Amino acid sequence: MVAKKIIYSLAVLSLSCSAVSIVAAADGDNKAGIDVTAAAKKELGPTWAYQPIARPEIPAVKQKQWVRTPIDAFILAKQETSGLKPSKDANKAVFIRRATLDAWGLLPTPEEVSAFVNDKSPNAYEKLVDRLLASPHFGERQARRWLDLARYADTTGFQNDSVRANNWRYRDYVIQAFNDNKPYNIFVEEQIAGDELWPNKQDARIATGFLAGYPDNHNSRDLIQRKYEIEVDMANTVGEAFLGTTVGCAQCHNHKSDKISAPEYFQLLSFFANTSFDPNIPLAKGAESKWDIAFREQREKYNKATEEVRAKQKAILDEFREDGVKYYKERYLTDSRESVFKPESEWNALDRWVNFRYKTYASNEGNTVVSYLRMIAEQEDHPQYNPNSVAKWKEYQDLAVELRKFNNLQPNRGSVTITSATELGHPDAPPTFIRFSGIHERPLDEVQPGIPALLGGDKLEDIKPSAVSSGRRTALAHWIVGPNNPLTARVYVNRVWGQYFDKPFVVTPDNFGRSGGRPSHPELLDYLAAEFKQGWDVKSLHRKILLSSVYRQASDERPDVVKVDPANELLAVYPRKRLEAEQIRDSLLYASGQFVDEVGGPGVYPPLIEFLARGRGGSQADVVAQVTDRRRVDTRWPVSKDKADWNRRSIYTFVRRSLPYPLVQNFDPNNPSLAYHKRDVTTTPLQALALFNSDVAVDWSQALAGRLINEAGVNPDAVLNRLYQVLFSRNPTKAEVATLKEFLTTEEKSIAQQLKENNQLAVATPVGLKGAAANQSQASLAAWVDLVHTVANSNEFVYRF
Amino acid sequence: MSNVFSRRDFLRKSGYGLGAAALAGFVPGLSSSLGGLSAARAADIVIDPANPLAPRGTHFPGKVKSIIWLHMNGAPSTLDLFDYKPELIRLAGTGVPESFTKGIKTSTQGGVSQLFASNTRTWKQYGESGAWFSDLVPHLAEHADKITFIKSSVTVGATHDISILKLNTGGVTPGRPSLGAWITYALGSANPDLPAYVVLYNGDREPSGGSVNWSSGFLPAVFQGTAFLPGESPILFLDTPPQRSALQHRASLDLLNKLNTFNTKSRPADTELLARQQSYELAYRMQSAAPEAVDLNKETETTKKLYGLGDDITDSYGATLLRARRLIERGVRFVQIVSGFPENAGAEGNRRSWDAHEDIDGNHGLMAKMVDKPIAGLLADLKSRGLLDSTLVVWTSEFGRTSWGESGTGRDHNPWGYTQWVAGAGFKPGFTYGQTDDIGLQVADKEKAVDTYDLHATILQAIGLDHLKVTFLNNGRSERPTVVYGKVIHELLA
Repeated sequence: MVAKKIIYSLAVLSLSCSAVSIVAAADGDNKAGIDVTAAAKKELGPTWAYQPIARPEIPAVKQKQWVRTPIDAFILAKQETSGLKPSKDANKAVFIRRATLDAWGLLPTPEEVSAFVNDKSPNAYEKLVDRLLASPHFGERQARRWLDLARYADTTGFQNDSVRANNWRYRDYVIQAFNDNKPYNIFVEEQIAGDELWPNKQDARIATGFLAGYPDNHNSRDLIQRKYEIEVDMANTVGEAFLGTTVGCAQCHNHKSDKISAPEYFQLLSFFANTSFDPNIPLAKGAESKWDIAFREQREKYNKATEEVRAKQKAILDEFREDGVKYYKERYLTDSRESVFKPESEWNALDRWVNFRYKTYASNEGNTVVSYLRMIAEQEDHPQYNPNSVAKWKEYQDLAVELRKFNNLQPNRGSVTITSATELGHPDAPPTFIRFSGIHERPLDEVQPGIPALLGGDKLEDIKPSAVSSGRRTALAHWIVGPNNPLTARVYVNRVWGQYFDKPFVVTPDNFGRSGGRPSHPELLDYLAAEFKQGWDVKSLHRKILLSSVYRQASDERPDVVKVDPANELLAVYPRKRLEAEQIRDSLLYASGQFVDEVGGPGVYPPLIEFLARGRGGSQADVVAQVTDRRRVDTRWPVSKDKADWNRRSIYTFVRRSLPYPLVQNFDPNNPSLAYHKRDVTTTPLQALALFNSDVAVDWSQALAGRLINEAGVNPDAVLNRLYQVLFSRNPTKAEVATLKEFLTTEEKSIAQQLKENNQLAVATPVGLKGAAANQSQASLAAWVDLVHTVANSNEFVYRF
Repeated sequence: MSNVFSRRDFLRKSGYGLGAAALAGFVPGLSSSLGGLSAARAADIVIDPANPLAPRGTHFPGKVKSIIWLHMNGAPSTLDLFDYKPELIRLAGTGVPESFTKGIKTSTQGGVSQLFASNTRTWKQYGESGAWFSDLVPHLAEHADKITFIKSSVTVGATHDISILKLNTGGVTPGRPSLGAWITYALGSANPDLPAYVVLYNGDREPSGGSVNWSSGFLPAVFQGTAFLPGESPILFLDTPPQRSALQHRASLDLLNKLNTFNTKSRPADTELLARQQSYELAYRMQSAAPEAVDLNKETETTKKLYGLGDDITDSYGATLLRARRLIERGVRFVQIVSGFPENAGAEGNRRSWDAHEDIDGNHGLMAKMVDKPIAGLLADLKSRGLLDSTLVVWTSEFGRTSWGESGTGRDHNPWGYTQWVAGAGFKPGFTYGQTDDIGLQVADKEKAVDTYDLHATILQAIGLDHLKVTFLNNGRSERPTVVYGKVIHELLA
């Protein structure tokens, strides 16, 4: 053991997964103002986040009339000590636009705005907030950010980027959980151990899709390495998402800044040692959605139409199956190979994992035997070359051509299965070893499951195996939401605050450790966390924030705040913020009137240029097609035939890890390959190109122009008012109206002149015009589209103030 | 520290000409809109969220200004191109002596049986350096004295995509930033009218695996590679829509500017809003700058011929490399090129990559021909334009190929010893570092092994960046391009 300790410390010296103190770096940028962070640092030790949550007293303040909720008292108390006053309330129209974008990710309609503005009742705000929280759009918006953490995708990533045909059920589970206001503790437990805790509840099993979202490569020949990488992914994701604790550093060496040792890291890893995922569990009886029914019926049609061809193909493959599978198995790396050739009676827990993996992904890939057949038929110099196979291979290829004729009958979205974590019916887990420098091939001592001492150590309750499961994840889940762990509530409350105020209390929502930021308002964070822990009521937390005075403030710039608090840490001004990628697309779509308001279902494929769509789709059929015809142009993005699917919210866009949807990709969305904690805001010309030039954005503007003219009539003032109401929840100012009208006049003239010179010119005109409105001149109508499109590109649309 | 500028410096350098109020730096929420990135997230590199691509300095003077990263997709057999092994030729057809396979885990049970060498290959030494080249790369051989060979390259993995990820990002699972993204993060852009980091590929589709190989990972998305499309208009959404004339486009932009001014007037300190207003003018400039940058009609016939344009096998790859030269000439920092396959090669085009498990003569006969003349042309062209003094060409692959081949006519995957090379700024020309054993299977002297991390660290060094100091704080870790590994191979540097 002494020798091994030396090895650890050597590893630490040679590696540099070092942490930098955010606080120290931030200080330098803040010289002009008061050093809130430094003050907080003095009060709080580096391990503040691991101390029990103390429910702080609500502070006394002078401007009592400003305090609507306890939140306000905490915020105001700090402002008062710095001699700052809060900003006045934002006007009601600004408020409803802000709140609707924050809670739903969509714009309010002009009718919703005027109803709220005209609602003079004392509980107008409460009514608005309750309406927002009761809508399914609330779940869609909250789920989007949760899916960032869950590194959600509809494909596996890596080169093949195989489709995970039923992963959307996990996405829908998350939306539903937020809409049902599922208590957060249950939400956490289901995602970590739903299969163990509620084996008979389909939703709880689907919830383990949180763990199952790891990037994967079904082709991997080194299953032991895969197992290790998957465990690492699960442990790190759980550590960051629920605990705000970076455990990953300790994978390679003892964590320098937080006291998590390498052995403790592997103890954490071992909670997942017995976990497999079964993606082929049949959907529970009676749980079929309309998409499932459509999928099943379509697949039945396809199966029936192709029954004969497939039977002939199978007959050919059967002749070569044994040799082909053996050949395939032999290509695994040494240790995986030992497991896949071992008879089942001799399997240990690790063999079980490896063989389940092999059976689930490798052995059923039709291309195993097909590739083998192709090889022994085509490669004359290959030792296994078999002249008798040549005719069979020819026959097989002909059948493949025949089969392809039925491709249009293939369902391209959906499934009749669910994915769930499973421990394969056994309570005994494979051993977990500490790895030297994190290298999976260099195991050191074996470890048992345990919570790092920093996080509470021995406070883990006993692990109770069941007949079919190790019970390890259950124990971990119970601990995460248990009374001894202060992190879970703090971490979640911090994230939610960050959604509404741009900046969370702890600016590193992924890292509450020594190297992370210190909370700007530690007492308020604890107050909210303490409240939240009473019943884990998610909507109630959102409601408290939405109804606070601090959230209601105007975002107008204030020179006095600039001077005293340039980073706006005291929140004396409401922080304006650029919309997130999906908010931009969804809001434009919503404004255009083409939005299809439907919750859930398999991912959809909005339009994409054909060039980018080319490539393997990663489905079973595609893999076989690729083997039989390498020059075939496949599609990895089968654009939805039903145009209604083009107009769904962005959360329903199919998430292909190797092909992020281009329109939103420029606006700093999450990266689905890793747990993503915070959306950045960067400003680039590529964003301008996407919003100004893309055909989709122009289509929306044409539809929006049509909608406005239909709703407001032909009077330009009325149309302009309506436009500003739809996009900005206000009427244009006189100066704006003058500018816009001047544009309209010159633009109309300019277009008319162009049309005169070339009557073949195709100009963009409003879509869907009804009645007399359509009788205006082409030039006039086209000028309206240009105007609408330009207004939709302006800063005021892309920001919420 | 030379690369740490204050926000004030940035704003001045950004050319946005902001007033004094803007320099006060107050924007509600702005200072934190990159997660506190402006100062807090990065230890050594300060990013202004309002102008994240502003040019930034290096840690110390470096010679490399731009990089052309030639990824040979599918893994060429360098045993058939550069790594001449008489002993392998002598032993071909016999079993692999056990002494050579010590310490490696092979992926095929029956495969490690017979050593293979092509009957048709011939070898010659070239230049003053006397480097060996096979008959597959005659044009490249003429540039022997420009090249720095790394004949002791190693990596991990037996699967293409895992090792390709590692080659580009240092990670074996997706999610880390690519080397190009790190460099863009460290240095910003030298030409705001073009993306700083461009990906080009040869062929009729995006390479499989796609954008994870030029991803910004946990860095802000602004640092990701922009994959150029083939054809005249290389960037998605670059063109003004067909229904909108140039006149309408300009008039709309002018209106937009006025509307945004209404909006920003009451927020004089908000540099982010101002930056967004300006981004439309930058985009407008990009609309003409980007097509111009890839317009090969501006090149002479002689130059086109130099790159092999007009020949079925070399045309598409040559055109890709010529685009790359035009891009780096215009200040693009990092051009990443996936080798692809010849578009016009007819049935031969069935070969989609260098992955020659069988028929290495046929495969490499085509693939080497596809790249040989264009790369030689690129080196000659860069040299004659004086660009080779500031440009580094990197010839790289996810791994090499074994000394045997299960099929008997090809070679399998070899992460234990293979050749990569670089040519140009900062590296010793006409120099060879390291070697493999007598059959070209493993690195001969493990002390001299060059892993992908070491290659990254050394390239960063040649740029003037200390790989240990190009850091970004993510999930509590101070991340760097070389993960937790990497050493600078000083012997390679001029």
